[in-house]
Amino acid sequence: MIVIENLSRIYRKGSNEVAALQDLNFRVQQGSFVSVIGRSGSGKSTLLNLIGGLDRSDEGSLFFKEKDVMQMSRRELALHRRFSVGMIFQSFNLIHSRTARENIELALAFGGKSRRERKKQAMQLLEAVGLEDRADHQPTELSGGESQRVAIARAMANKPSVLLADEPTGNLDSATSGEIIELLQNLNKQEGVTILMVTHEEDTAHAVSDHLLRLSDGKMLEERRISQ
Amino acid sequence: MNYPDKLIIGLANLWRMKLRSGLTILGVVIGIGALTSMIAFTSGIQKNITDTFEENDVFTSMYVTPVKADPSSIDLAETMKEGISSLDDDILDSIRTIEKVAIAHPEITFPARLKLKNKDDKTRIQALPKAMEQYKPYSDLLAGRFFSSDTAKELVINWRTLRSLGIIVKHKDIPRDFTENDSLEEYRILPPDSILGQTIELVSAKLDIGNVMKNPLKAATGTENVFTEESMPFTIVGILNVERNISAAGIKGGAIIPSETAKAIPRLDFTSVWDLLGNSGGGGQYSSIYVRVDDMQDLETVKKSLEDRGLNVFALADQLDQIRNAFLIMDAILGAIGAVALLIAALGIVNTMVMSILERTREIGIMKSIGASDHDIRTIFFAEAGSIGLVGGLFGILLGWAFAFAAQIVINQHILPNDELPVDLFYFPWWLVLGALAFGLLVSLTAGLYPAIRASRIDPVKALRHD
Ligand SMILES: Nc1ncnc2c1ncn2[C@@H]1O[C@H](COP(=O)(O)OP(=O)(O)OP(=O)(O)O)[C@@H](O)[C@H]1O
Ligand SMILES: [Mg+2]
Repeated sequence: MIVIENLSRIYRKGSNEVAALQDLNFRVQQGSFVSVIGRSGSGKSTLLNLIGGLDRSDEGSLFFKEKDVMQMSRRELALHRRFSVGMIFQSFNLIHSRTARENIELALAFGGKSRRERKKQAMQLLEAVGLEDRADHQPTELSGGESQRVAIARAMANKPSVLLADEPTGNLDSATSGEIIELLQNLNKQEGVTILMVTHEEDTAHAVSDHLLRLSDGKMLEERRISQ
Repeated sequence: MNYPDKLIIGLANLWRMKLRSGLTILGVVIGIGALTSMIAFTSGIQKNITDTFEENDVFTSMYVTPVKADPSSIDLAETMKEGISSLDDDILDSIRTIEKVAIAHPEITFPARLKLKNKDDKTRIQALPKAMEQYKPYSDLLAGRFFSSDTAKELVINWRTLRSLGIIVKHKDIPRDFTENDSLEEYRILPPDSILGQTIELVSAKLDIGNVMKNPLKAATGTENVFTEESMPFTIVGILNVERNISAAGIKGGAIIPSETAKAIPRLDFTSVWDLLGNSGGGGQYSSIYVRVDDMQDLETVKKSLEDRGLNVFALADQLDQIRNAFLIMDAILGAIGAVALLIAALGIVNTMVMSILERTREIGIMKSIGASDHDIRTIFFAEAGSIGLVGGLFGILLGWAFAFAAQIVINQHILPNDELPVDLFYFPWWLVLGALAFGLLVSLTAGLYPAIRASRIDPVKALRHD
């Protein structure tokens, strides 16, 4: 599903070069739950941003269903972000001026859904994450766990086959983290969504994922498949 | 995501920043308001002049006069030889044969007194052929009709003349304002129908040559009356319409009589003084001849063939070009003032939009992360800029109109002389309204161009790290 070959991401400023990612090679099977671990600054977010089409690199290739994301035009990248992948972040990244439902509706609108469909599907998505009663609340009125659920619902709005989660529990207490992880697991198991999750918690990574990537200084330190 | 969706997002963003959006829009309102009221003002004045010209048939009329010896001309002898120095019936007939000439008649006006009941008033009488009845303003009388024939003893009168004779025409277009000098008892307000058909005496004066010859000394000292008066009864058959524009008043005489009838009236004017001095070529000398074409396109060719015949031609239409040039300059100056106001408004738009990009960087990053394309972001910002322009344009036109309305009242009540009819100084044609809207939109979209492009190029990775 995802094939990464010789992928590097090098930040250049004048003569100064920072290699956030260096010569990565790995594959992700469809339907797997991948955990990406590593120290701070090891390049985890950079990797997810490349897969998610938010960032680009001119070194190496990143095939998503046989299409090289690194060769896509800006327009194609937008479509990739819109339909192929969903992303969630440590800081939830909900739009504050919009209610939970409106945040989801916005994603559906970019997906080309009609006004009526948007409303209906947004409610269904909220139901799926157990927040139908919070539909008309502003993000500031939601707890961290609830915010992350809304973000997950929004990321899944246009039915992507891959969900990229960059430290989704980084801002949550352990109980709430557990609920979010469970939600991701359900998506993975029941809907067959491929998940790549960055996490700092080795235990969680071992417990939930079937594929583990350990990065260090932008390089692959360890790649392991875990049979659950 | 379709365009209405983006427009709604844009409007919602403006709504979120009500105060700032409002102030930015206010800038556009003032800019468009200034621009439209200035243009409305110059077009209003222009329209007044053009309408006056049209109402007085300026575009189709010209006046033929004999060639005068021009002292500044180097070739004085040449002008005298080639030019025609007097106008008579032969010349009139030959003018009438020129192609495209619709009508040609000598300009005859003379001073006379009009007597109605016990009142009388001095005015100028104009003599016109019946054929003029098909042209404005004679074709469009306030009441009654034009003469029945060139020899009829009928008269068409101006409402101002009637006023001098103590009659105010009862009609919605006729002003009834009085000045301090007016004594109200002197006036009667009558409906037009009861004025028509009344008999009016036309009293004209003639220099009594016999009397002067008999007693030159007494004539010179004024003790003997050298003038004889003759009176002729006329029936009022028509009342001229109210002039709709400034300066139209008084161009024509206070009353009009048929041309042939006029010939029989002894009168004191230049021609008869000319007669007196014995300079006459014998009958029918005119100081000028009015020539009219039906189509303004023909004015130039007819004018040329008249000049080819050695006649001096004056067409006021020629002056209009100069007036138009003057207006172009005025338009340009006033337009520039309005444009500067709008330019400042445009900078306000740019400023507001750039500010809002800075504030919304993260939001733009989020939108990109859930699938917004560069184009989507661009159109959202364009929608915002466009809405500012459109709303600003609409209210700007209203402001311009309100300003014009107020200025109009002030000018008509306090600046124009009392007896002038109120004038429309501002003119808001449909093209001005639509043009102002379109211009406001264009300016705001142009102002939104840079911010929109800048917003669309925002790097989502950096934007998401932004707070
Ligand atoms: N725009 C940039 N310019 C220069 N260097 C950058 C830029 N963005 C990231 N880097 C560098 O790239 C490296 C990887 O960053 P990245 O954010 O991917 O780390 P991370 O593994 O996600 O860390 P964390 O766990 O703290 O989120 C870091 O050394 C960082 O300093
Ligand atoms: Mg990171």
